[in-house]
Amino acid sequence: LFPRAPPEQTPSLCVLADSREISSGAEVISCLKARHGVKVQVCSLSSSDYVVSNRMAVERKLLSELLNSVNRNKVTQRIQRLQSVFERICVIVEKDRVRPGDTSRLLQRTQYYDGVLAALARAGVRILFSSCQEETAALLKDLVLVEQRKDAAIRVPTEVEGHKREMLNFYLSIPNLSYLAALNMCHHFDSVKKMVNSSPLDIAAGAQVSPQKAEEIFRYLHYGFDVQMLPENLCAKGR
Amino acid sequence: PVTAGSIVVPYGHVIGNEKWRGSEIAQKLQGKIRLIFEDDLGLVDFHLSNRTCILYISEADLVAGDEFKRRLVRFRNASNLGGIVIVEKTQISDQYFLAVQKLVVLELGMVLLPVANQGEASQLITQLVSFYVREQSKDHNSNPFVRKQGSQLAEPSVFRTVQQIPGVGKTKALLLLQQFGSIHRLCNASVQELEPVVGQTVARQIHSF
Repeated sequence: LFPRAPPEQTPSLCVLADSREISSGAEVISCLKARHGVKVQVCSLSSSDYVVSNRMAVERKLLSELLNSVNRNKVTQRIQRLQSVFERICVIVEKDRVRPGDTSRLLQRTQYYDGVLAALARAGVRILFSSCQEETAALLKDLVLVEQRKDAAIRVPTEVEGHKREMLNFYLSIPNLSYLAALNMCHHFDSVKKMVNSSPLDIAAGAQVSPQKAEEIFRYLHYGFDVQMLPENLCAKGR
Repeated sequence: PVTAGSIVVPYGHVIGNEKWRGSEIAQKLQGKIRLIFEDDLGLVDFHLSNRTCILYISEADLVAGDEFKRRLVRFRNASNLGGIVIVEKTQISDQYFLAVQKLVVLELGMVLLPVANQGEASQLITQLVSFYVREQSKDHNSNPFVRKQGSQLAEPSVFRTVQQIPGVGKTKALLLLQQFGSIHRLCNASVQELEPVVGQTVARQIHSF
């Protein structure tokens, strides 16, 4: 008899990618898969571009977007939203693609850009710089590895079907809950009823979230609904 | 000597290492901020506030070899100050950038900000300092990226969550919430309790969800 192959030492690496990245970051995704052997699960994340661990979201921003204050509100709102969902955030600043011979896009460093970097750094957002999509893919892989070392890697199956899919949609509607926390809940609790009857401590362990976040979820599940507080336009439609 | 401890930086000032006197950075900073030189700052190039300092890595440092890495590691081990590493990323030093970034950000957990030259560095430092000034002047909304504790009404979300239960649309969600009050109570309701509100089929669906 042949000796059985030893169990794989390093568990496979996995990231979630937002479906919009298929068009805007096609090379990032294909590089992650082909060159780095990272499993990429494309799903509708809505909040962030990538999720690399139980707690970290990665936002890919083109340098031109951060140089110009026109995008100020869009960028600010997006980062604020991430702050309310994820414990850790990383922004990858990627250089815009320039066609050979095209000098019109020679981008000048602006005061606004320096202000954005200062504010991000001060808010504890990690910042990485990339010169192209291939480099961004390599950085994402490095982040996955670091998070894996810190025992925060994505460990659950990322595809769900049938009843689990319905449960996922239910969990995803909880405010400020990340896609991954919802996914963890799906795999940890046999039924929604079990999850809803859990203590904050159980929720933290099941969803792999911080005690504060678990407390927030617990309060939400026990929140006393007052129909008077529901905006008119929402309740009127159903009638 | 490994000096990396905290030092009192007066409001709106920057304390610079003596070795930067007369440099392009110093010249461009003066006039915009008040720069004071001291000669015992050790590993640190500039102190921006009592808690934040800058370590500057020039193009020449990068090309010369690993000395700058030892300096960063020594700083990280000796200090609990927030360290911002400013690195000169030029055509010549570009090849070293990715490795430096990996060391500084991913391994040492410090902030790394690339600049093309000392002129850009002075502009960046000016922005960082004006940021600390705004922060210290009790302008708590000065940082747009710091999470604000927004207290939003939960009703619309709860309404939406209940509609994710199979068989439940807007009308039934509203009836159920009026009857049971919270997601917790709704999920623990018996089929008998649910039936009068939504009928037998949906009552079973909710109960088994």
